[in-house]
Amino acid sequence: MKELYRVEGVVNRGFVGQITYTICLEETLSKLDIHFSFDADKRTFRPGDITDALIRDTIETCRRNYDLEIGEERARQIILGDMKTEIHTLATINDEFLGCIHKQLTDRHMTYDGDTASEGCVPRESFDGVLKVTVLVFNVIKDATHYCLTVSGE
Amino acid sequence: MFKRYELHNHTTQSDAGITCRALIDHMIADGVDCFAITDHNTISGHPIIKRILEEERLPIACAYGMEYTTYYGHIVCPVLEQYVPWDSINRKKPELLFEAAKRAGAVTGVAHPFSYGDPFARGCRFEMEITDFSNVDYIEIVNNPEPLHEVNEPGILWWESLVLSGVKVAACAGMDLHGLDSFAMKFATYCEGDPGGDPVEELKAAVAAQRTWVSKGMLVAAEKKGDCVRFTLVDAKKPGFVPADTYTLTLKTKDGTRAYDITAGEVDVPLPELGEAVVPKLYGGETVIENLCCVAPVIRAGD
Repeated sequence: MKELYRVEGVVNRGFVGQITYTICLEETLSKLDIHFSFDADKRTFRPGDITDALIRDTIETCRRNYDLEIGEERARQIILGDMKTEIHTLATINDEFLGCIHKQLTDRHMTYDGDTASEGCVPRESFDGVLKVTVLVFNVIKDATHYCLTVSGE
Repeated sequence: MFKRYELHNHTTQSDAGITCRALIDHMIADGVDCFAITDHNTISGHPIIKRILEEERLPIACAYGMEYTTYYGHIVCPVLEQYVPWDSINRKKPELLFEAAKRAGAVTGVAHPFSYGDPFARGCRFEMEITDFSNVDYIEIVNNPEPLHEVNEPGILWWESLVLSGVKVAACAGMDLHGLDSFAMKFATYCEGDPGGDPVEELKAAVAAQRTWVSKGMLVAAEKKGDCVRFTLVDAKKPGFVPADTYTLTLKTKDGTRAYDITAGEVDVPLPELGEAVVPKLYGGETVIENLCCVAPVIRAGD
């Protein structure tokens, strides 16, 4: 398949929202591959990443949001076991839904080939017009998390 | 007759570990009348399930839906046959998304409203501010995998406060299936229906009329009898349900809660004791949340 578009970017810690890329397809395609990945090593915290400030912030968030009193050890467990960068991808063509991959992955492909498509995606015979790929950023736990999006087709 | 619904289920089309095929088989094996496919932000499982059900003429109905999984809460739509975008989600004006989904024919519910969000799982708690419930069909008052006290009890209390203050919104339950979890002694949603009726249409009618039951397997039905309302136990024959030795019916109004022994199977309650609106709940034994067995539809004066 030919690479039609490639973009790389960086998102900051705490960003929530979406980034949409609009690609005008110059020819009709029968196959499509939308590949998205982000820094795997920035997905979760490691013991060495845990700072006093992060522990204080986690304890305060639990107290403020859930009236939940936790100690430092529990905060460490939450930081290492629950907190993660979570970014998903969604695609439309001419504003019609093509699919969304909502899985806990750091690397994913949305592939379309005739009557088959990857999980989360709706098979489609051909692609013509305006493709939009939206990166849905639910959570970024580490600053300067790098991502890469490529769109390929034939 | 009562029909059993499982309204909140995921597959490998999003983040679950079970395929569409496995989900269907799991539902049929437990005698479910109608299940919904509600994958996170995708409707890609719809054609797969439709094809299987049509080709094999399986004895179960499916509602084709989706769970809007946003940064500020989840909106589970057991019926949503076309994708309606949510990229303009506004935590202070979620009514716009509920309205757009309803325009597309959706049945809309607030999923696990008190689940833990950030820092555990961003978006799982419903943090949006709803001021107009006219396009909200139901609250998922029990999300079975969630903790009873920390998450489900506040959901039940929120729904009760809404309906007792006059808001018309139904109550439902969900398994939030991501694997082949057992349904035994878990809450399901029940609606009234006809033997040959379309379960999806009956679900739509039931939520619109707030005539839904959330139950582990024993239901409580209400019928006006002269100057009383007769409450009757109905065994839904849910697999794995363990009957209690005694049953207590509670009727909660704005002014307080009254309790009645309904172990014998029925009890008549004088109309004046019901007030303007009352939430009937059934407990197996003592009236503590662990023993909650059924939440029945609100009864309003004039019903």
